[in-house]
Amino acid sequence: MKLFLLALRTVRREWHLPELRTLAASLVLAVVALGVVATLSTRIERGMLASAAELIGGDIGIESPQDLPDTFADEARRRGLNATVNASFPSVAFANQKTQLLDVQASDPHYPLRGTLELGDASGHSHIGHAPPAGSVYLDHRALVALNLKVGQTLQLGGRQLTIAAELLRQPDGGELFALAPRALMSLTDAEQAGLLGVGSRARHRLLLAGDPSAVQSWRNWVQSSKLPQGAELITTEQTQERMRTAFDRAGAFLRLTALLSALLAGVAIALAAQRYARRKTAEVALLRALGTSRKRVLGLLVYTLAALAVPAAVVGLVLALGLSQLAWMFASQLFGSVPTVLPIGPSFAAAAMGIAVLIGFALPPLARLAEVPPVAVFRQSMERRVRRFDALYLIPLVVALALIWTQSGSVQLAGILAASLFGVAIVAALLAALLLFVARRVAPGAHPALRLGLAALARRRTLSLIQATALSLGLCALLLLAVVAPSLLQGWRQELPSDTPNWFALNLQDDQRAGFDKALAAIGGSKLNMAPLAVGKLTAINGKPVDAITFPDERSKDSADRQLRLSWASELPPANQIVAGQWPPAHPAQAVVSIDTMWRDMFSLKIGDTLSFNVGEGNLDAKVGSIRKVDWSSFRVNFFLLLDPDHASSLPHTWLASFYLPRTQATQLAQLSRTYSNLSLIDVDALLDRVREIVDRVGNAVRWILGFSLLAGALVLSAALAASAAERRHEAALLRTLGARRNQLRAAAACEFALLGLVAGLTAALGAAGAGLWMGHAVFHIDGFVPPLWPLALGALGAALVVMLLGLAGTRKVTRTSPMRLLREG
Amino acid sequence: MTDSSRALLETRDVSKSVSGPEGKLDILQNVSLQIQPGESFAIVGASGSGKTTLLGLLAGLDTPNSGSIILDGNVLERMDEEARADLRRRLVGFVFQSFHLLPALTAEENVMLPLELEGSSDARTHARAALEAVGLTARRKHYPAQLSGGEQQRVAIARAFVHSPRVLFADEPTGNLDQRTGHHICDMLFALNRDHHTTLVLVTHDATLAARCDRRIELEEGRVVPSSDPASVVSARA
Repeated sequence: MKLFLLALRTVRREWHLPELRTLAASLVLAVVALGVVATLSTRIERGMLASAAELIGGDIGIESPQDLPDTFADEARRRGLNATVNASFPSVAFANQKTQLLDVQASDPHYPLRGTLELGDASGHSHIGHAPPAGSVYLDHRALVALNLKVGQTLQLGGRQLTIAAELLRQPDGGELFALAPRALMSLTDAEQAGLLGVGSRARHRLLLAGDPSAVQSWRNWVQSSKLPQGAELITTEQTQERMRTAFDRAGAFLRLTALLSALLAGVAIALAAQRYARRKTAEVALLRALGTSRKRVLGLLVYTLAALAVPAAVVGLVLALGLSQLAWMFASQLFGSVPTVLPIGPSFAAAAMGIAVLIGFALPPLARLAEVPPVAVFRQSMERRVRRFDALYLIPLVVALALIWTQSGSVQLAGILAASLFGVAIVAALLAALLLFVARRVAPGAHPALRLGLAALARRRTLSLIQATALSLGLCALLLLAVVAPSLLQGWRQELPSDTPNWFALNLQDDQRAGFDKALAAIGGSKLNMAPLAVGKLTAINGKPVDAITFPDERSKDSADRQLRLSWASELPPANQIVAGQWPPAHPAQAVVSIDTMWRDMFSLKIGDTLSFNVGEGNLDAKVGSIRKVDWSSFRVNFFLLLDPDHASSLPHTWLASFYLPRTQATQLAQLSRTYSNLSLIDVDALLDRVREIVDRVGNAVRWILGFSLLAGALVLSAALAASAAERRHEAALLRTLGARRNQLRAAAACEFALLGLVAGLTAALGAAGAGLWMGHAVFHIDGFVPPLWPLALGALGAALVVMLLGLAGTRKVTRTSPMRLLREG
Repeated sequence: MTDSSRALLETRDVSKSVSGPEGKLDILQNVSLQIQPGESFAIVGASGSGKTTLLGLLAGLDTPNSGSIILDGNVLERMDEEARADLRRRLVGFVFQSFHLLPALTAEENVMLPLELEGSSDARTHARAALEAVGLTARRKHYPAQLSGGEQQRVAIARAFVHSPRVLFADEPTGNLDQRTGHHICDMLFALNRDHHTTLVLVTHDATLAARCDRRIELEEGRVVPSSDPASVVSARA
């Protein structure tokens, strides 16, 4: 206890020392950066689930071809969940002597439970609402155009005269790929009374539920233990579109990357400050040892001092992290609408623990060495001996850094790339700095006086110069990664969805309609048309064993085996697909070959050479697994889990699936086109595209936000690196002034010294950032053709050299003004 | 009294004070003296008597609160720090009690420093000659930590003489050395002083060392003590 009080007094007395303040500030920054991002990530994860709930209009549900028994809704209500029932079916509407097949959804007034139903009134204003009351209907724009109707007019649907109460602008499940269009939303009561849901109707019934997550889980467990009606299936948030998940996954990776780099920067600053603090304490420790303080007590005092500094700093970081997370969430919540999520405090506490681990990991090695200062060093500092057994302690920061990268990156690949890149930067920086010092010794005699003095200054502090160059390189590399490479990756991501990304899908296109549709589409300004054959079938057996006889490990696999499959074929590997095993089939394979997605491989434990049997229409097809593909589901292209070879598949009964881009303003012309091709189902994915673009933008903002922390951490590294040599500089400046050096000479020498240091750091950092960016762009973020912005990186390196030089010069202002009398006073 | 027109260094009523927690503290009061070219001059006194402050003022490292200091015809208090630095580089050499060698430079590189500041192109040649003069040719590639105290001080002396200064200021040059080494260092200092016709201003509390100088003054609480010693030739107008 006495030792702890002594440690507290030590911290209070030494608080004026810049290195102690740097230690504390670095810890606060590390905790804040890690805490804010971890909290945000947790919230984003929850928000993502909530967002998925918005897409299906509830937290969970059941879809069934028959009307569902009341027990499912009753069980849900008993658990405190809200429930809504709706049914979807195709129906023909009549108005103005026109007819139009509509995809009708009939809902009770509670719909939607999650997400928003956006409606437009007659004056063009939009508002949020629920399903219409009896006697009213909402129509989407294409339905209104097709029937030449306006809000407020009437139409006949299911034999009933209904008033169009609003235009349907956006529906929670508006982006579903296989939904039909145009759309109408009517009252469930009207649909029932009109007999639209009776026996023989083609309606699909849905029960959607929302409420407390634990109640949802409880109901889910109950459903899974009881038997679902024939053909019914669970609707869960996990089935949300893969594209959205990829967007969120990438977003999370970006955020974690930025936080991680900030924390590592803080670690570098801590290491530098601790090194300097240890050097300053050497004489004091030697005196304590000479006065009879045991080594154990010295070590205890140092550990307590570190704790007395770390605990309050971690608490400050924790409070700031929680406060800033709350603030950040208020902005980020716009992404998920008004979904209530409580502030998770766990991640901030974990960040505080990680921050303390960073402090201990990076500060312990130099401080632990202090305990080995011999009492005799009180007479002569050169009596300090180097204790080899403490060298192993320098592995601790390395281990802490690797552990941090490992836990924070959330991906082995990202962790590996970052660790390798930063390690490479450290090695290259040290080598370049050593080379510079080597050259300095040879070039200095013939060089310009200022450059000669600058080079001499670098050479004089050989070890410090190496440490400074390495620390600055790591710091700058992290900053360049964040400031130049990350935005460029984001830009690359955004460019994957250029403004002419296909925003429409057309289903059910027949062979003989292809040429005409192509022409008609081009005439109304459509472009980027891409067509893929589509056969609908069922998986019947795997390696000859009937699917019904196979025991699947989970519900998802069973569900996928039971449901209808969409099969396609192509002669060449489509874009956004990558072969990870096997080979793409040759032009005319002797036997039918299928290429499967990695998800199928994992779900059914398939390998190359396995045989899959399909039933398509009247026929059967056995195909060998020839290759396994990794599909980029975020590409907004038409992709398939199963791709057959054209030789064996093209004779299967099929239609075509087309994707194309059409400017939003052309929606009216498309409605006319859809009347010509009345068998087509057109799906608008603009809403989904907008949402992904929105996510990219929000992530960009969040990265910029966290970049603020990184800049602060970078400034700390810089100040700690410069402070590391401040004492030597002051002594040196006093001596040089005594020997008659002019202030300008000292300034010019310092400018040369820092410019060289900055150049080494900037060059290494730019190379490291470019390499890491290139690697990450391809391996982690899967952005095709991503090239890091080389010019901005080169400019960034030069700018960094300039900033290091200017800050170095600013930092030496005091040094150049050191009175030469100081030397005489020192003896 | 010496002839002031020939003096290389002269002080007139120089006073220096600093502000401390207990108010103004007088360090030097009305010190006047003259030092002739080629002369060796000792400033003696107890610790805290103001010796080092006076040396700093004479060398132009600091300026007095009142009075005047003239070095080789230059009135130091009228010059700014830059001009004084320029003067030091041309005219002055230093030897310190703690040697003040830069630890990361070899002996030779330490000696080269004053010449490098002047922009000399053959600094290395001169530095080697200076090191030879102090008998350290064999140790020129050694770092200060690899040299004994006496050797370090010899390097410092070589550095002080390498650019042939007109006046050499030595602050307790033997203070950190044993008696024998100190004696040897002093011999070297006086010999080089003689050979280079340098003026030597020495601060010491070693009476034997002071006795070897042509003249000396004693300071006590910042004032020059009047002395019957014929070598003590100063004017004290306290």
